[in-house]
Amino acid sequence: MADVATGNPLVPMPARIVKIVEETPDTKTFYISTDQGKPFTPKPGQCVMLSLLDVGEGMFSVTSQGPDHLEIAIRKVGVLTTALHEAEVGQVVGIRGPYGNGFPVEEMKGKDMLFIAGGIGLAPVRSVINYCIEHREDYGHLWIIYGARTPTDLCFKEDLFNNWPKVENCRVDVTVDRADEKWTGPVGFVPPFVEQLKPSPENRIAIVCGPPIMIKLVLETLAKLGYNDEQIITTLEMRMKCGIGKCGRCNLGSKYICLDGPVFTFAQLKLLPSEY
Amino acid sequence: MYKLATEKLPELLQCWSQGATVYVPQKVGEVTLFRPFKGQGDLALGEGNTLEPPKDLFFPRTEKLYDYWASGKEARLEPVELHPDRAVLVGVRSCDARSFLLLDQVFLTRGYVDEFYKKRRENTAVVALACTQAAPTCFCTSFGIDPGRAEGVDVQMWPVPGGYLLEALTPRGEEMLKQASGLLAPAEGEKIPAPAQPSLQVELEGLVEKLQKMFDHPYWGELSRKCLGCAICTYLCPTCHCFDIDCETIETSGYRFRCWDTCLFAHYTLMAGGRNPRPTRKERLRNRLLHKLQYFVERYGQFACVGCGRCLELCPVNVDITKVIRDVKEVSL
Amino acid sequence: MSLQDKMRERARELLESGAVNMVIGWEKGTFWYLSPPAFITTPEEADRLVWDEFCLNNLSKYLLDYRNTDDKIALFVKGCDSRNVVRLLQDNQFPRERLYLLGIKCPGLKDSRAASLLGEEKRAELPLAPKCVGCTHPEPVIYDELLEAGVSGDLGSPEKRFEDVEKIEAMSYDERYAFWVNAYARCIRCYACRNVCPACDCRECIFDRTQTGWCGKQMGLTQNMFFAITRALHVAGRCTECGECERVCPQRLPIMTLNRKIIKELNALFGPYEAGVSLEAKPPVVEYRPDDPDFEERR
Ligand code: SF4
Ligand code: SF4
Ligand code: SF4
Ligand code: SF4
Ligand code: FES
Repeated sequence: MADVATGNPLVPMPARIVKIVEETPDTKTFYISTDQGKPFTPKPGQCVMLSLLDVGEGMFSVTSQGPDHLEIAIRKVGVLTTALHEAEVGQVVGIRGPYGNGFPVEEMKGKDMLFIAGGIGLAPVRSVINYCIEHREDYGHLWIIYGARTPTDLCFKEDLFNNWPKVENCRVDVTVDRADEKWTGPVGFVPPFVEQLKPSPENRIAIVCGPPIMIKLVLETLAKLGYNDEQIITTLEMRMKCGIGKCGRCNLGSKYICLDGPVFTFAQLKLLPSEY
Repeated sequence: MYKLATEKLPELLQCWSQGATVYVPQKVGEVTLFRPFKGQGDLALGEGNTLEPPKDLFFPRTEKLYDYWASGKEARLEPVELHPDRAVLVGVRSCDARSFLLLDQVFLTRGYVDEFYKKRRENTAVVALACTQAAPTCFCTSFGIDPGRAEGVDVQMWPVPGGYLLEALTPRGEEMLKQASGLLAPAEGEKIPAPAQPSLQVELEGLVEKLQKMFDHPYWGELSRKCLGCAICTYLCPTCHCFDIDCETIETSGYRFRCWDTCLFAHYTLMAGGRNPRPTRKERLRNRLLHKLQYFVERYGQFACVGCGRCLELCPVNVDITKVIRDVKEVSL
Repeated sequence: MSLQDKMRERARELLESGAVNMVIGWEKGTFWYLSPPAFITTPEEADRLVWDEFCLNNLSKYLLDYRNTDDKIALFVKGCDSRNVVRLLQDNQFPRERLYLLGIKCPGLKDSRAASLLGEEKRAELPLAPKCVGCTHPEPVIYDELLEAGVSGDLGSPEKRFEDVEKIEAMSYDERYAFWVNAYARCIRCYACRNVCPACDCRECIFDRTQTGWCGKQMGLTQNMFFAITRALHVAGRCTECGECERVCPQRLPIMTLNRKIIKELNALFGPYEAGVSLEAKPPVVEYRPDDPDFEERR
């Protein structure tokens, strides 16, 4: 599935970084392509194992894709991501996947959609936002609520301020924890911001991604607003190595995040141990 | 069924060595390990299981996945040839034979096939040896394992006075007995010896259901106080299968490998950025035990313990999985 | 009153009075030859404590788990264990005020592996635990109160400790190399020897930091040897010869032979020194002396 040449899921295929977009001081989006074009076609919310061969391998969500490339947004946090941030266009990388379940885009059909994200958490959500925009007639109202620490930390500014607001029947609300001199928009954390905006739970599905603490508080807020556990979808992060449910480490109870996740409804999560 | 005289055992191993490597329990220093048979060596086919389980035949401690070259922006990789050698594993106890079936579940099912494991597994014939005496630490029968007859093996052997009885259970096993026909005599009137009867038993009824309600129970904190967080109970467990993937680069070339890993080590779940969902030994030891006794059952329908008793025998602080099972049934929720 | 009864009584009293909130001792394990660590936090549980010839575990290592708590801990210490307590105190790993030491005059313990093979009928004939052979300090070197054990056994002369070292020294270079390579080829890097060792008190071990590139995680001879040598050198001058590393090694590798070779060399180089015997004496490899002969030479 992953590697056509060997059929061996642990061996990546070579690909190249064909474009790099600097999103924030610590986040870049890498456009990945192979000589044959797009490595494979992930579903929204699926992940890939991306490697710098001589440094290491890591699991990242695919934030978007074009006809010939995948887009992967990566924040600088460790050894591999630091090395990736130093890489230039043309760098050969290894890629294998796609992994995981992805967002339930079929079940979401006909619903109004609420997307709530914080920081780099917008990366996986962007894949499903773009999917909903591409299949605009299948989904109702789209509402994007996003926050970051400061205005410079906002990812995908072009989408937030230019592309998405132009989409029909789509609303974008952006907040920052701390404003700078130029910022005139709302200031404050995401959870109270959501509470203030009061998106009604009527025929709506909420997708929530971000730092664990933000997720926790947003879930409380949504519950207060009347959302039930089936209406809320989130993604989980764990350390991953194999990506195919063999190496053991990403388990949450009997589920493997790499294979059975990373997307779970809050109802599903409640049945699993709270070890994330 | 055939009989082999005790003194012909080396010849039998020699015969199976044609075109394959025969692995058989041997005394190495003070311990017993599966080692390649090289014509001599201190065979240890008496009672009892080996220190290390034979899982590394299929899932080696370290296995190279591919070579790579990287310099500047350029890089390329070359997958390794999948291990082509044939092997015969002789003297596998029923507990370890069951562990192969459990590892098969992990490596060969649920959407992905692990090609490295598959190739080695396919190329290895398994000859089981029945137990007629159990160690005090053995509790295989609790998991429905018959110490006198292994599951999923090619040939079953039984120790009898003066030699061994052999029975082929698969076409490959029949082929192997044919190959050795000069050494074997028809076993007429020979009786299969009574299987070992481990005195240690655990009661599994209701265990999973109880554990499902015990994730946040203080029991795990109490139990883990003495645990050292070493890897004895997992590296030497026949069913443990966790691995890490890492690479070794020297200047511009290197290789990516996988190697055994364990959920008892702190950095197993440590994420880039420093977050660790299992920060202390409590969460880690709990994960090991729940994986064996609850999660694996939920996922694959079987317990991931075969009652071989290795962890019970070797844990430096006597974390005893059979006691855990008994305790769990008793603690109040 | 037997030592065991005395232990239980003191544990109960210490917990009842609130002098400590945890007592670490030993209890009966799965089999008659196992007496693993026990953590007692209520007076009622004090009767779980046992004293017998299999109380082998050195409990001082557990102090590190409570280093950053407010717990007041009572710890039972044999001679070797007490020396590790001294070492931990010297390294400022645990405050003396939070520690109450119940010393046990150790009669020498028995080999539990031999016990498992020989059976309970032979209990009286069991050999001394390998770690006890030649023990130089069966009596605790530090304690708040001392409990006597029944009989004191014959532990053999201290020179016996170096018998295996001498065997290695008598080998040729190639033989010696082959000896260590053969042994450590089997090491599974379970790190039990490190994790049980009270002298291993680094907050983060280099072998847990695979990304630094010091030692890869693969299990190969190179990495195993690097681990073997590094571990041994990291405990040089701090190893109290409690023998726990060798006792817990599932592969039964001769770890103490390596430790003792280093002890022998240290003694030859810096003069006789025994780790953890006195709170004042500094370990030779951490002390700076201007009159160090090596230092003079280099000048
Ligand atoms: S249970 Fe025992 S063998 Fe397992 S990690 Fe803890 S101390 Fe080591
Ligand atoms: S958990 Fe222990 S007894 Fe069970 S299979 Fe593993 S090593 Fe054997
Ligand atoms: S656990 Fe059962 S099959 Fe395994 S060695 Fe013991 S008696 Fe034999
Ligand atoms: S205890 Fe033995 S096998 Fe384990 S790491 Fe130490 S030397 Fe190696
Ligand atoms: S990353 Fe290996 S099981 Fe999920």
